[in-house]
Amino acid sequence: MKHRLLLILTGILLLAACESYDCTLYNYVGMYSQFYQNGAKVKLNDTLTITSGKSGRVLLNRSVGSSRLTLPLSYWQDVDTLVFSVKDNNSIHRDSVWIIKSNLVHYESPDCPATLFHTIEEVRCTHEFIESINIIRSSVNYEQTDNLQINIASASN
Amino acid sequence: MSKLTICRLTSLLLLISLACCSLQAQEKPKPKKEKAPLLSGVAVSADIVGFAMKAFGAKFANMEVGARINLLDKYFPAAELGIGDCHREGAESGNRFSTTSPYMRFGLDYNFNKKHNGNRLFGIFRYGFSSFKYDYLNDSFSDPVYGVTRPLDLSGEKATAQWLEFGVGVETKLWSIVRLGWSIRYKFRLDLSCPEGGEPYFIPGFGKNDDNGWGGTVNVVFDVGKTAKKTKK
Repeated sequence: MKHRLLLILTGILLLAACESYDCTLYNYVGMYSQFYQNGAKVKLNDTLTITSGKSGRVLLNRSVGSSRLTLPLSYWQDVDTLVFSVKDNNSIHRDSVWIIKSNLVHYESPDCPATLFHTIEEVRCTHEFIESINIIRSSVNYEQTDNLQINIASASN
Repeated sequence: MSKLTICRLTSLLLLISLACCSLQAQEKPKPKKEKAPLLSGVAVSADIVGFAMKAFGAKFANMEVGARINLLDKYFPAAELGIGDCHREGAESGNRFSTTSPYMRFGLDYNFNKKHNGNRLFGIFRYGFSSFKYDYLNDSFSDPVYGVTRPLDLSGEKATAQWLEFGVGVETKLWSIVRLGWSIRYKFRLDLSCPEGGEPYFIPGFGKNDDNGWGGTVNVVFDVGKTAKKTKK
């Protein structure tokens, strides 16, 4: 009986001594966008490159056949400027997109990396090949559902 | 009636009376029931585990003292006040969480031991509450894509938590008014209100933040009380 009690107590102590990190497995925060033309989802046949306006960092490089985009937003800026460059055989079309947003620090545990969630407040753009952009879901967090609907001009694809 | 008959009858009566007396002598005495007074005492206690953890530099500790009233040596309304302390740094993330805040618990201990021999076996119930502030810091928090590094400083985040505890405990008399006991408790969180950004890593009095958890105490108790009186049934 004493041995059993000792075993049970040892087991409880071992369980209590174990520590687990409950970090979210999918912890990428990105803004999901889908291309639309005449109300239907489309693929871009041309080569698409996206850079951030201020830093000039390449966020998407020479992607062909893009239909859905996953783009990171800056942690601290209130406005992110993205430059969309579409290159076909003859020319390059450029559009600037301004994402006006608020940022919120998100943390789970000291052992897990902290990140920032965002709320998209407004989206503006030029109209070289992008016709308009609609906000479908303003919250940018761990969810992988679309945030923006990018409507491209009829003659662009 | 002859003298012989009278003598026989007398002898028979004597024998019967003797037998009755011996039977009465063999009967067990009536058991006496121990009865404790309504207010059987008061006690103060301290959980030595929390203080020891703090002294040995543990990353978290709940340091608490308690008081209780002894009613009939069976019901023990109890209150516990403490300070929860946690300072933890993530091994790889560089995030630091810290809090030092008070908490309180109220509840009842029920003594299952019917004998008033100084030993007690408790069933424990507690309601716990803490309103606390915590800091979440990272000196070199960097944006991996845009490359901007800025300190993350969330100081003085406010939160409140409520929880229930159920458990068992034992306690025995060591010397005079000094008693020693331990308890093991299962805790489950009722409510947690905190800022939108994230939940605290540690709740004072509850432990590591989760829906439920285990806890325990090792108590030194100073118990001043009346002894149980033995009364006839």
